[in-house]
Parts: sequence; C-alpha cells; structure tokens
Amino acid sequence: MNDAVTSLRERPWAFATALALVLVAANVIARSSFATPSSWPATLAAFAPFALAAMASTPQILSGGGGIDISVGPLLNFISVVIVAVLIPHGLGSAAVAIPIALGIGAGVGLINGVLVSVLRYQPVLATLCTLFVLEGASLKLLGQPATVSTAWLTHLGNDVGPIPGGLILIAAALVIWLALGRLPYMRALYATGGDDAAAFSAGVNVTVVRIVAYTLGGLFAALAGIALVAVTQSADPTQSIQYTLPALAAVAIGGTSLLGGRGSVAGSIAGAAIMFLIQTLLDSLAVSDLWLQVVYGTLLITAIVLSSTITGPRAVRVEAA
Amino acid sequence: VSTAPLQPPAPVERASSTAAARSLWTRVLALQQRLPIVQLIALVALFEWGTWTVTDFATKQSIISMLVAASLLGLAAAGQTIVVLVGGIDFSVPAFISAASIVISQLTGTDHWAFGPSLLVCLLLAVSLGAVNGYVAHRFQVQPLVVTLGMASVVSGAVLLWTNAQATGSPPPFLTRITSVTGTTFGLGVPPVVVLWAAIALLLGVVLRRTIAGRRLYATGANPVAAEFALVRTRRIWIATYAASALVAAGVGVLLAGYAGSGNSTLGDPYLFEGLAAVIVGGTAFGARGDYWRTVLGALVLTVLSTVLVGKGYSTADQQIIFGLLILAVVAGYGRDPRLRDRV
Repeated sequence: MNDAVTSLRERPWAFATALALVLVAANVIARSSFATPSSWPATLAAFAPFALAAMASTPQILSGGGGIDISVGPLLNFISVVIVAVLIPHGLGSAAVAIPIALGIGAGVGLINGVLVSVLRYQPVLATLCTLFVLEGASLKLLGQPATVSTAWLTHLGNDVGPIPGGLILIAAALVIWLALGRLPYMRALYATGGDDAAAFSAGVNVTVVRIVAYTLGGLFAALAGIALVAVTQSADPTQSIQYTLPALAAVAIGGTSLLGGRGSVAGSIAGAAIMFLIQTLLDSLAVSDLWLQVVYGTLLITAIVLSSTITGPRAVRVEAA
Repeated sequence: VSTAPLQPPAPVERASSTAAARSLWTRVLALQQRLPIVQLIALVALFEWGTWTVTDFATKQSIISMLVAASLLGLAAAGQTIVVLVGGIDFSVPAFISAASIVISQLTGTDHWAFGPSLLVCLLLAVSLGAVNGYVAHRFQVQPLVVTLGMASVVSGAVLLWTNAQATGSPPPFLTRITSVTGTTFGLGVPPVVVLWAAIALLLGVVLRRTIAGRRLYATGANPVAAEFALVRTRRIWIATYAASALVAAGVGVLLAGYAGSGNSTLGDPYLFEGLAAVIVGGTAFGARGDYWRTVLGALVLTVLSTVLVGKGYSTADQQIIFGLLILAVVAGYGRDPRLRDRV
C-alpha cells in the first residue's frame, strides 16, 4: 500500500488518470450507450477543445517563474473566429491552407506572450491578461455576432476521419509534438527552468529561449483547440472568449501539475480535463436537474483537487507552533 | 599614501560620475518601490489626455461618474488585493458579487424583509463560504485557483436553486441613491459610494500597514514557513483573508444591485479580470509586495482610461484592444520582474 502511495507521489498524473478511468466506468454504468463505439466520435469531439485548452495551458506553467497563460481561452476562440470569419469567406478555407495558417497565428500569439514574459520581463499574469483583452477585442472586431459554418473537412474533424474520431486526431497531434520534444534536450531544460530558474541559468540553460518556446508551444496547442472548437460547434461565437480559460487552468492543476512550475506533464492535463469533462457527462446522464448541476459540479471539483493533493501531493511542510 | 600617484585619475573620475548616476537611479527605484509614483504620473497623464481630447471630460458630472465607476471597481478589487498579498488568488469574487445582488433584491423586494436583516444574511453567508475557501486551500495545500473556481460554481448554483432560476425583486430605492451620480453625502456633493470607498481604503491601508494583523498578513505572503516559525497562525490568516474577500465582494454585490436596479447572475462577471487588472496595474504582486493604496490608483487609472476610450467614440472591440495595449505601456515603467542574471 505504501509502495502504491509512493509511486503515485512520483507520478502526479497517475492519480488523475486512475480517477478519470473510474469516472469512465461510472459513465458507462449511468448510461450504457456511453460505451458504444458509435458514440465515441461525438464524445471525443466535444472533449477535444477542452482537453487541448488544458494541454495549451501546461507548458507555460511548467516553465516556472509564476508562469501562467490566461490568454489561452481567448486565443482558441480567436482562432475559431479567424477560421469562420476570415479564412473560409476568403477562399482560404481548405484544410491544407486553413490549418497551417491557424497554427501559425496560434504560435505567433504564443511567441508574443513569450517575448513579453521572458525578454520584456512582464509578470506572466499581467502580460497574458493584456493579451486576453486584445484578443477579446480582436475577435469582436472580426465577427460582430455568432456565425455558423459548414465545410467538409471541419464536419469530418467533428465526427471521424476514416475510422478514427476527429477529436482523437487533434489531441494526438498535440501529444505527439509533446512526446517528440521529450526526445530532445529541450524537455530537460524546461523542467530545470521550472524547478529553479536561477540554478538553471547558472548551469548554462538559456532560460529566455526555453520560456519563449514554452509560450509558443502553448499558443500552437491553443490553435489546435480552436480548430477542434469550430469542428464540434460548426460555428464561432466572439462573445465566448473566456469560457475555456479558467476551467483549463483547473484541469491542469487537477492533472497533478504544480502551478509553481517544474512538476507535472501534458498527459496529466489531459487526465485532469477528462475528469472535469466526465463529471459533466455523468451529471448529464444521471439527468441531474439543471438547477443542481452547478452546485454538484463545484463540490466535485473541490473534492477532486483535495483528493488528488492529499493522496499524491508532497507532504506539506508542517511547523507546529508551540 | 604613496600609492596615490599610481592611480590614473581620469577613469576614477568617470567611474565616480557613473556611480553617482547609478546611485541616483537606485534611489529613484527605491522611492518607486515605496510610493507608486509612476502610477500617479500615468493617472495624471491619462486624465490630461482625456481633458484635451474629449469634450466635457473634466466637468464635475463626468468626474463624479468616473469616481462612482472607480469606487465599484476599487471595492471589487479590495478582496483580490489582500488575497494576492497573502499569496493566493480568488476567482470566486464575481460569483459572490452576483449572488449578493440577487439575494438582496429577492429578500427585500420579493420577500419584503427589512434591509438590515437582508444585508446581514448576505454578508454572513459570504463570510462563511469565503472562510471555507481559505480553510480548504490552506488545510489541504491545494491550488486556491481550483478551490475558488469550485466555490464560484457552488455559490452561483445555490442561488439558482434558491430562486428556482427566476430572480425577482428590486432593492430598496435608497440603495440606488448610494451609487447614484447625483447622490450627496451629508450635504456634500459626492455620492455615498465614493465616501464609502475612501473610508474603506483608509481603513484597509491602516490595517495592512499599521496593525499586528496586517504585519502577519504580509509575513504569511512573503514566506509562509518563516511566518509559522515566527508564531503566525498562517491558516487563520488565510481563512480571514478569504472571508474578508468574500465579505467585500458581497458588499459590492449589494451596491451593484442598487446601481443596476435589480439582481443579476452576470452582474459580477466584468469584475474578475478588471479587478485583477486593477490590482496588478496598481503594482501589487504575488507574495506580499504592494498594498491597497496601489489598487486604488490602479482602479482610477483603468476607469479614466476606459472613460477616455469611450469618450473618443471607439467601438467596444477597439476599446478592448487599446485597453490591453495601454496597460502594457503603463506598467512597463514599474511592474516588471528583475533580470534573471541579477538574481543569480
């Protein structure tokens, strides 16, 4: 038992994954059609924007120094607005053109955030708060009110591409980029920077570049989330800029990533997002009244974070004051 | 004594003059750390910009309506300020604001309670739920971000349940006069909400800087472990801080119910990010740097800025974009972190 607890403590994402699996089982018990393969594409498509938003919020937090990106929600919404209001009407709506442009914009905004934080030394909360205001305004400027769209490749991504659910492809794309980076020295530099930036700097790590890349990576993932959002809703709504911001950060924390940096992983964030998403589908399947939904959801959210930190967290430094 | 001629005189002179310049610069920086000078300059500059480019900007009427808006923003950011000072963050502020606005309207308007007991119910509920925020976050050492987000959901949900999703009633008329631009306080030509804000700013300023409780709050934010060793009960500080934050938020909700004329479940939403912006633009940072006076300045800066942008006739979208860019420009002067190579 102690071994199990120790190994959980070494892998903060493991508990979140286990809890997510329990919730999958609970969902299946509550509504057996949840397990039917034909329902998977729709479920995964609904899950993808949220999972990717959580993944997009992770590298900045891992890079430490108070790193946090609250512009992820507005950025992914901005991407969805750009696809619907600019790219498709201007004949740039084919998958081969629209996807690279969207990814480029996402990475570009992430790069700007990274430069603001790392080179210009703004506090991350403030820098990304300003990006949030600018992106919110830019979305409203491009698109006055919600608009719908209908394009073949987006419909496919919202359902399935061949035999594979479209949502899964987008999540996998982000995960593959992350795992590929894990093969490079970059990942060690990122965790070193997040753990103690002054020590990493002394050891010759180029902290500035490491942080810029972390924010750029977050922007890239946010662009994937934006594509996933258009795919599932077949529309863009400029007034919904901040809907994903705070839940995504909560998913990162539940996934075992320390908001102090240097500890955690993108995989944990997927598990954290899955927990929050599965709680919602479970409440939905159990036909919990809309009135009760928020109370139950909030209570479960607090319970999940308390459970995950008491079981897997490092022992708190406890000083008994006499 | 005999070594003096060996030293080349010119470089020494140059070094001393740069040293003098540097010490002047350090003194300016040190002063900025103690007093929010750049924030004041930014406030005056923005106000002058408005006076010269927007018609009727500096009239009494316009200044008072700016003060009312700044009071509401400043009060909404008061709780966030002390929570940030203690090293946390409170995302349940908007939920408490909206909930209190609905509860006060429902109790006084629909259920015909007297105002006093209704206010008491609002504030007591807020204090106890806020205390839960602080307790859970500290006892289980979990991210206050998630705890307060969950609490926000619980609070909004509980209000939905209680009103059956149909909030009715309007607050008593005198509440509207408190936040009315034409309101007066004991014959003074200033609305009561501005006077209330000034009183709370004064109180909070004194409590933070001049009382034992305030020193303990800073100690907890600066280094919780060291604070425990100094016999500060950090859990009590966290509970009190979050309870106070919820209390002020509920108070703002009651005022806003009067300002808007009824309760509303989205009334508090704008105050989340703008409140956070007021705290940070003021110059308060995580871990016990700053005070409430800075947030007061931050709220004034943001209100003047958005009034200028509205006055110049920008669309909502353009206002947002310029707002974001100008905050970066204003904060460039003081709100940046030290160089990494200076911390090694």
